[in-house]
Amino acid sequence: MRRVRTIAVGAALAMLWAAPGGAELDGAVLYKERTCIACHGPDAKTPILPTYPKIAGQNEQYILQQMNDIKSGARNNGNTPAMAGVMHLVDEAEIAALAKYISGLAP
Amino acid sequence: MRTTRKIQATVGIAALVAAAAWAQPPPPKKTGIEGEGYVWNEDAGEKMEALELTGDAVNGEEAYEVCSACHLPSGAGRPDGTFPQLAGQHTTVLIKQIADIREGLRDNPIMYPFATTLIDPQELADVSAYIQTLPIPQDNGRGSGTNLEKGKELYDANCVECHGNYGEGDAAKFYPVLAGQHYKYMLRQVTDIRDGRRRNANPEMVKIVKKYTDEDLDAVVDYMSRLEWPERSGAADAK
Repeated sequence: MRRVRTIAVGAALAMLWAAPGGAELDGAVLYKERTCIACHGPDAKTPILPTYPKIAGQNEQYILQQMNDIKSGARNNGNTPAMAGVMHLVDEAEIAALAKYISGLAP
Repeated sequence: MRTTRKIQATVGIAALVAAAAWAQPPPPKKTGIEGEGYVWNEDAGEKMEALELTGDAVNGEEAYEVCSACHLPSGAGRPDGTFPQLAGQHTTVLIKQIADIREGLRDNPIMYPFATTLIDPQELADVSAYIQTLPIPQDNGRGSGTNLEKGKELYDANCVECHGNYGEGDAAKFYPVLAGQHYKYMLRQVTDIRDGRRRNANPEMVKIVKKYTDEDLDAVVDYMSRLEWPERSGAADAK
């Protein structure tokens, strides 16, 4: 019985570790660590310049598209030079985690 | 027919005016080294007032909070060179660079909004004074370590005169501290200085690095990334 329980616990832990969007992809942590907070504000709706967008509660798919486009250079208008320089700080999975996190914030 | 034309013209002009009023002004651009009659570090501009004030490091700590998002509370920035290490940098150098960014003499779209929030000369003096008090972390990003002999040769021949044996720079002359700075950051800057993209560069320095190949730059910057200035250094394990 104990062996079965050990295996079950081990399997559960392994699944947690392997799960996509696991502990290390915490959108809230990424939002601070990868410096989004500096320009968009702690609540993602208090940008440092009036020409920067409020993004809290924005559509997840839209955020994803914009971040990917700014990173690839497909979007290079307006203030994108200010953001393009930091996009290398986040990979595909992290961008997805951030889009999910930001879209869930109070608009 | 003529009335229609008049209406069209009026509407057209009104639209242009409205567009102009609505449009955000782009960040300023000041002619730098690429222009005629460029004087490095002129005794003019927004930095002068901040330089004359005594910075209060205690107030500066509060002002630094917004900077810490990217440069970290320790001032360490990022070892990949995205953001420079600031700790222990000369107050004078910090004031000048922020003022240059704000004026559009040094191009930095990421930093520009943060430079504009420091428009108050006292606040600029305060935060710059505070940053100078931060101990220089010892775990900065370094180069490959494969060409350090060449790097030292170049540094001793060309750089030590202004930047010092410890990479301590010169506060009065606005020569930055290099000790503890990230390899990738310095490589980007010195390459930009060589190639004319750093428009607030010192022409004396441009003259020197103009002769450097990419390999030379890698070697000397790698050597510089290992300089230590004990006077302003933090503990070996400080982050």
